[in-house]
Amino acid sequence: MKTEISFILNGSEVKVTVDGHLRLIDVLRDTMSLTGTKEACGEGECGACTVIVDGRAVNSCLYPALEIEGKNVTTIEGLRMPEHKLSKIQQAFVDHGAIQCGFCTPGMIMSAKALLDSNPNPSDEEIRDALQGNLCRCTGYVQIVEAVKRVAKQLKGKR
Amino acid sequence: MRRFDYLRPKTLKEALQLKKTIAGARYISGGTDLIVQIKNRELQPTALISLRSIPELAPIEVNGGARIGALATISDIIQHQELGHNYPVLVEAARSLGSVQIRNVASIGGNLCNCSPSADMALPLLVLEAKVRLQSAKASREIPLSEFFRGPGESCLASNEILTDILLDPPRQKAKAAFLKKGRVKMDLAVASLAVLLEMEEGRCRKARIAAGSVAPIPLRLFKVEALLEGNAISKDLVSKAQQLARDIVSPITDVRATEEYRRQIICVYVKRGLEKILG
Repeated sequence: MKTEISFILNGSEVKVTVDGHLRLIDVLRDTMSLTGTKEACGEGECGACTVIVDGRAVNSCLYPALEIEGKNVTTIEGLRMPEHKLSKIQQAFVDHGAIQCGFCTPGMIMSAKALLDSNPNPSDEEIRDALQGNLCRCTGYVQIVEAVKRVAKQLKGKR
Repeated sequence: MRRFDYLRPKTLKEALQLKKTIAGARYISGGTDLIVQIKNRELQPTALISLRSIPELAPIEVNGGARIGALATISDIIQHQELGHNYPVLVEAARSLGSVQIRNVASIGGNLCNCSPSADMALPLLVLEAKVRLQSAKASREIPLSEFFRGPGESCLASNEILTDILLDPPRQKAKAAFLKKGRVKMDLAVASLAVLLEMEEGRCRKARIAAGSVAPIPLRLFKVEALLEGNAISKDLVSKAQQLARDIVSPITDVRATEEYRRQIICVYVKRGLEKILG
């Protein structure tokens, strides 16, 4: 059974027709061709598929596509800045060597964004807690936490 | 994944009606456990009936006691200040459940209805003597949570019922509670876990409530340990007796996460630590 739904995707309203058994990640990657969001474990352990729904980080591999109706979804593609510039969080990951193979990076960045959007001045513990659901098998987490701390500092300077 | 329909009723009545008309349908709330089970082909539903569009299942009301709608997410519980103030042990357990991404979607009702022996929310609710409200098309009943669980994945919820609310009595002034959980890393399922609630009066234990996770087919109230403590001063000797009794009562299994003996040992240590944490 196909159902038409509309939702906000990276700031624009979109309409899609989806089957009941599909998940949000299927719609993002296969219907919308937004392949920045990755699927690795497919069971909510690794966080590679993290996107932001109504301000909260969620695993798009466990999110029924039809539940997205009327909601506001931000994916890694939504962080794109004018003239192909990177957002602050993305640039901080590059600067701190927080990326190796890169497969976990989009999810990691979306978790970091959800944290900083709601808590611009997080403690180390709060950063680690927010990123706990994102596994990186290459670099370890020190550089990643430092990158997030760096962005928090920049935000602080701005206020 | 195998194909299935996904239905989104707007009222409880409609949800109950739909289940009757579609053979092989399952209810879904947050889905963080259910979707994994479907993916692994442990479940093959013909349709999923989502409870997420039913507004009456969502709210958390604190008014003396508390009513927590089954669809409240774990993050909703953590962020609810009054709930955290009145029942800190509930929020402590909520913080230990999964990752941020899971907590943002997983519901408290789903955590209970999934009936995992390791259900993190079950333990604080058991020591707080929570009741759950179960609604069918014809009737509604309230039962103590301690009577809800029957075995791994099994509860006394009938196929025509929905768990709608979790009900808590007003917090008792002298009651203090603790929650302890052992996992390899913080977001793991519990290898073993324990919640303890004590009410002390003039140096004696007036009331004790203890529940253990991942060490029996269900999240388990340790009634005999409670009875041992109640009415007595909590001496070193009594604590050792309580530890030994708890070790004997639990019936853990060996699996990929831990051995039976290790789980017994954790419970034994946690009984002491839990009591110490409360008594200072």
